[in-house]
Amino acid sequence: VRKHSQHMKLFKNKGKDETSLRRQRVEVSIELRKAKKDEQILKRRNISIHVKEENPTLGQGRSFEIIQPSLEEIMEAVNGDDTELQLLATQAARRLLSRHRDPPINQIIELGIIPRMVEFLGRADNAGLQFEAAWALTNIASGTSEHTRAVVEGGAIPAFISLLSSPHMHISEQSVWALGNIAGDGPLFRDALIARDVIPPLLALVSPATPIGFLRNITWTLSNLCRNKNPCPPLDAVKKILPVLIFLLQHEDKEVISDSCWAVSYLTDSCNDRIQVVVDTGILPRLVELMDSPDVNVVTPALRAVGNVVTGTDQQTQEAIDAGVLTVLPRLLRHTKPVIQKEAAWTLSNIAAGPCQQIQQIITCGLLPPLVELLSKGDFKAQKEAVWVVANFTTGGTVDQVVELVRSGVLKPLLNLLLAKDSKTILTILETISKLFMAAEKLGETEKLCLLVEELDGLEKIENLQNHENDMVYRAALDIIEKYFSGEEMTDLEPQTGQDGLYDFSVEKEDFNF
Amino acid sequence: QRVLLLVASDVDALCACKILQALFQCDHVQYTLVPVSGWQELETAFLEHKDQFKYFVLINCGANVDLLEILQPEEDTFFFVCDSHRPINVVNVYNDTQVKLLVKQDDDLDVPAYDDIFRDEEDEEEDSESESEGSEPLEKRRRFEEEVIERTMRRRQRREWEARRREILFDYEQYEYHGTSSAMVMFDLAWIMSKDLNDMLWWAIVGLTDQWVQDKITQMKYVTDIGILQRHVSRHNHRNEDEENSLSIDCMRIAFEYDLRLALYQHWSLYESLCNTSYTSASLKLWSVQGQKRLQEFLADMGLPLKQVKQKFNSMDMSLKENLREMIEESANKFGMKDLRVQTFSIHFGFKNKFSASDIVYATTSLMENIEKEGPETTNFIKALDSLSRGNLDKLHQGLDLAKKQLRAIQQTVASCICTNLVISQGPFLYCSLMEGTPDVKLFSKPVSLCLLSKYLLKSFVCSTKNKRCKLLPLVMAAPMDVEQGTVIMVGIPPETESSDKKNFFGRAFEKAAESTSSRTLHNHFELSIIELKTEDRSKFLDALISLLS
Repeated sequence: VRKHSQHMKLFKNKGKDETSLRRQRVEVSIELRKAKKDEQILKRRNISIHVKEENPTLGQGRSFEIIQPSLEEIMEAVNGDDTELQLLATQAARRLLSRHRDPPINQIIELGIIPRMVEFLGRADNAGLQFEAAWALTNIASGTSEHTRAVVEGGAIPAFISLLSSPHMHISEQSVWALGNIAGDGPLFRDALIARDVIPPLLALVSPATPIGFLRNITWTLSNLCRNKNPCPPLDAVKKILPVLIFLLQHEDKEVISDSCWAVSYLTDSCNDRIQVVVDTGILPRLVELMDSPDVNVVTPALRAVGNVVTGTDQQTQEAIDAGVLTVLPRLLRHTKPVIQKEAAWTLSNIAAGPCQQIQQIITCGLLPPLVELLSKGDFKAQKEAVWVVANFTTGGTVDQVVELVRSGVLKPLLNLLLAKDSKTILTILETISKLFMAAEKLGETEKLCLLVEELDGLEKIENLQNHENDMVYRAALDIIEKYFSGEEMTDLEPQTGQDGLYDFSVEKEDFNF
Repeated sequence: QRVLLLVASDVDALCACKILQALFQCDHVQYTLVPVSGWQELETAFLEHKDQFKYFVLINCGANVDLLEILQPEEDTFFFVCDSHRPINVVNVYNDTQVKLLVKQDDDLDVPAYDDIFRDEEDEEEDSESESEGSEPLEKRRRFEEEVIERTMRRRQRREWEARRREILFDYEQYEYHGTSSAMVMFDLAWIMSKDLNDMLWWAIVGLTDQWVQDKITQMKYVTDIGILQRHVSRHNHRNEDEENSLSIDCMRIAFEYDLRLALYQHWSLYESLCNTSYTSASLKLWSVQGQKRLQEFLADMGLPLKQVKQKFNSMDMSLKENLREMIEESANKFGMKDLRVQTFSIHFGFKNKFSASDIVYATTSLMENIEKEGPETTNFIKALDSLSRGNLDKLHQGLDLAKKQLRAIQQTVASCICTNLVISQGPFLYCSLMEGTPDVKLFSKPVSLCLLSKYLLKSFVCSTKNKRCKLLPLVMAAPMDVEQGTVIMVGIPPETESSDKKNFFGRAFEKAAESTSSRTLHNHFELSIIELKTEDRSKFLDALISLLS
């Protein structure tokens, strides 16, 4: 029979095997009817409400033979006197709050049982009840600010802080988690916790024997206590936390390290005084080491922390350089993740904004080649940062250093970026070009630079920018054209390729200054 | 934008095609017409034309399989599907971008709910966090149910959902049946656009009549749709009732008729028609001597002279023709034929051109399945299509002649099958196989002819057998297809009962039987209950089918 096998294949798709085949197709090209889907979603919601309120025996735990009471029943039992029922109801509430889909946080809050559950936190005689209440409150506090506030206003802060010292590890761990959620809401609750002296008992939980999962929770909560500005956390709190962070940064667990780095990055994202507090701990070499980690989850916060440090004073920046940041940055500028490229370029731009000694160190450490690479083929956001590196470099660098920069081939990708859509970037580039011309003037090499710019199709691009919608861009472009590319006939600048080799400005030439 | 029209080989499809062509002409839409007789041709036609066309109209094909899966079209390709095959594939139903189904609004499709058969991918990947690499820690975190419990629970729910999905789809896809005639759907479209013409209405009538002649729809559905069309007929043809505005005799008129259910009788002799109509032949058991005697008695009861009955209907005495229908009906009742008259329509144009809708169906079918080769593959299709236009009377008459031959061949084959006990009970179904060398066997290598034969045979068999159980069985019929390649064509039809819902489970059963025995089958026909099979594999295939249905 003709084309037998092929057609049988087609036909088998018909009746059987739908799961895989159909799904594939659904993924590729099915757009379900919007209205239909919305309707279905509504139905789904109806069903879940129905299940909860009218048919309590059919809750989501059905397959485990767990009976899920209604919200009404939960409220009554929590408010009642029967300890056993209190436990069951709190557990039921916790279960609702810990399901993946649509946890009924609002409904539970509306039952008004939060103060009662906070009360349960204090039942030292009933660890089960304490734990279930702690978990339920943790999940309520995990919602919006309003949700968190409901928990705090229920009096949970002191209750959780005292539970940190519970003899039951799972209860103290759950309290750490809840406090993390409260601290994460913002500076107000963070400082309320600090004022209640949350830090000493929290730090006391850190020891070499602490189980890893627990330690991760502690680290995360600590990072939330360091997090947020306006205002930043109180200085004495920071000073208490820092030594423990340094200890945690030595840990072998990547998550612990990552969250510790984030904590340090929050602390350095501040005024120079606060940066100094961090630098004084001698933490920089370890952070630089972590910037070189194979794990993006570690590299990102470590780089952020060090990047924040070099926004500080020249001295603080020098400490980062001394810790080796410039030896790590080339690799990060070439990182596969665009975000890392961008952050690395941002960091470099701040070092390039420093004194010329530090700029010299940039050259010495071989940062120019990766910079040029990034400028020519990096991610656009990273390119924008790289433009800033060049801009800062030409502003603060000596004439020799600027010549070195041009020699490394920065001009071509820089001029190419004049085609970018972003006016701010274009403006920065035009200002940089002006500075390059100023340097060339000092050396008497203006014409050579003109020629180089023209050869790299830069002149055309600058000329086109005279039509740019942004007035500043137009004026900057016009300024360059008027100063360096008009008046004198272009004929004078016709390719002077004859003298000694093709282009006098070609980057590898030895005998020219510029 | 040029449109590609892919049209299946059945009369309803041709009629729908005629209506659409007229609409296209009206709106100056350019199109290319490609006849397709099965999935292979559909696929080939698509591959050949997919680069030049973005819009494809499929008539009486494509609804019951996952089109996108089979054709793998580009994203900017669109299919408009007007197909009476049911059930409609669920992916076609829920695809709202590339597949547009033309379905009558009040057709009950019983499609499973979207959420019962499709799951959004996002539901499954709730806890994959791989993409958040390097991002800041969350400010707040919820503690979920223990991971293990969650995962087991989700996996269990998923398994249950899948089992339920299989069940739902099995129920949905188990039976093949037919929805509203595509010609009627197309006519509806024309009507909604206020572009309906009397010619289009006639094609819609022929399309519906095809479904009735081929036994594809229930009596109930037929009567309902006749009612719908009758309203259109009176709307379009009322002018003749009024003397002043009466139309020229050359204009076409459609009339509702409560006509005799005798095939082609107005173009034949009454006698021939009585003998070759399945209903009368089966009821009177004409294959037996007693049956022939009963026929004579029947004629005598009507008081019609044999000589008159045997001559061309056109030449019969006018006096006899008056009240003929009532006369025949009265006698038929006495002979147990209560349904000899049926609601239908006829068309008149000119002085002598009168055709009943079923005349056209028989003629067009015969032209389409003409076994005399007259040119390339598509010749029959084009000829059949042309015969539907009033201007091609010669083709129509050729079709009528072929149809008479076909009906005779069917009746003779039915008689010989019954007389030589070729219909055998296999337990869960009846089985009949035509031998190579049987007269007219070549005719029955064509699907529509074979289906007609099967239906007529089953009807006759049910009338002939005394075995009550056998009366309720479906029938599987096989005929030689291609001797050189050693293949047979096989069709399965549902039981012949009065209340039959015309739903056919053989499509799925054939698939399963073929799969379990690795039989070399070709499921090429748009009707899934018609397959081609290697002759050598027939016995193991049948064995599997028997055990599957037992």
